[in-house]
Amino acid sequence: MRWMPKLYRSVIEDVINDVRDIFLDDGVDEQVLMELKTLWENKLMQSRAVDGFHSEEQQLLLQVQQQHQPQQQQHHHHHHHQQTQPQQTVPQQAQTQQVLIPASQQAAAPQVIVPDSKLIQHMNASNMSAAATAATLALPAGVTPVQQILTNSGQLLQVVRAANGAQYIFQPQQSVVLQQQVIPQMQPGGVQAPVIQQVLAPLPGGISPQTGVIIQPQQILFTGNKTQVIPTTVAAPTPAQAQITAAGQQQPQAQPAQPQAPLVLQVDGTGDTSSEEDEDEEEDYDDDEEEDKEKDGAEDGQVEEEPLNSEDDVSDEEGQELFDTENVVVCQYDKIHRSKNKWKFHLKDGIMNLNGRDYIFSKAIGDAEW
Amino acid sequence: MAYQLYRNTTLGNSLQESLDELIQSQQITPQLALQVLLQFDKAINSALAQRVRNRVNFRGSLNTYRFCDNVWTFVLNDVEFREVTELIKVDKVKIVACDGKTSSPVDSISRNHSSP
Repeated sequence: MRWMPKLYRSVIEDVINDVRDIFLDDGVDEQVLMELKTLWENKLMQSRAVDGFHSEEQQLLLQVQQQHQPQQQQHHHHHHHQQTQPQQTVPQQAQTQQVLIPASQQAAAPQVIVPDSKLIQHMNASNMSAAATAATLALPAGVTPVQQILTNSGQLLQVVRAANGAQYIFQPQQSVVLQQQVIPQMQPGGVQAPVIQQVLAPLPGGISPQTGVIIQPQQILFTGNKTQVIPTTVAAPTPAQAQITAAGQQQPQAQPAQPQAPLVLQVDGTGDTSSEEDEDEEEDYDDDEEEDKEKDGAEDGQVEEEPLNSEDDVSDEEGQELFDTENVVVCQYDKIHRSKNKWKFHLKDGIMNLNGRDYIFSKAIGDAEW
Repeated sequence: MAYQLYRNTTLGNSLQESLDELIQSQQITPQLALQVLLQFDKAINSALAQRVRNRVNFRGSLNTYRFCDNVWTFVLNDVEFREVTELIKVDKVKIVACDGKTSSPVDSISRNHSSP
């Protein structure tokens, strides 16, 4: 049940063969069809919901990955060292993290996530998307696996590690101005040993897609809330490099973006600063809490959240944690039966994705109490 | 027309993403992509019906149920899926089920076939 690479394989083959005619009718080259197939298979492998889908290819990827595995400590590049680190493509890895990313490729491989309070690093499972592959071709030789970063503002960046240790950060398929992110738990003035993913200033005129920025993490100094990048060796793989370096020096000043969402000053509602006379007079209010909060709000001049009604909602957290795999079963029902609060399910022909893995059944029978 | 139900699976999503990439790079038209997806629907429906033969049992607690447009959607909590070989536990699972009786046009044609 759990895994039928053959089934998926045969579906892919069937579909590709069946659409070949449609492609040709539309005047689309066979090569595009092959590209579709390749993309499809790569994404399947990437998702790792499937074990041993392409065992040979996995072996190759494992070898490549072992040579260029990104490290958490930046101070060395021990290529041999990495073999002791857990491999993402090892079949025992049951946990895939899925993050929905707008516009660019979606990968269920673990990604480097930079939320507000924590710096989480995960090693990449290996495969690069087509966009990343194209991008890496533009970079100096020796650049390999991609580490994807999801910033807390939802932007997807890719960090590509070159053989010489330089890291290129670029944002595939988008020409969006990049924002500088601050990682708050770093101590000011200290040199951050773990790899720092983000230090990009907004550039005038935007950045063309796949512009690379070289960051030498040892050189990143945190001074209070500001981050400075002091590049040591500046290779110039792209013409925009000089531009970025120059802009990099202006970073502290030219940074309009705030690390967090700017606090909005609320002067109405509970933060009402007007009519203070009324507030003082009405001391016999039933809702004393409200009054206190009003006064506090008036004094501070700042309201963080609407204190009223904020706890009325008792719905379950539907979103749960952002990076959990939503376990989904897609199937057909033969019969659904209910007796009082006892439900019985007779299902068939289903595909399940549980804990990141795919399972299939021809029949499923279940019980549940509501 | 076969159910488009299976497009939101690993297999289906990876196909859709691949097609989207090709559309983005303008190598195929959206219309062609749609045709591919329709073909995928047929292929996956038929593969599941014919090439899979195994049973699963599950038990849990029902959190929500919905029946709309002949589609059942359930959310279960603390579920155990059991097959002969293994046991899988999840905290939460969503089940989307289309009517199994009118699954494929082939079936309905054969059922409705009658000679005057």
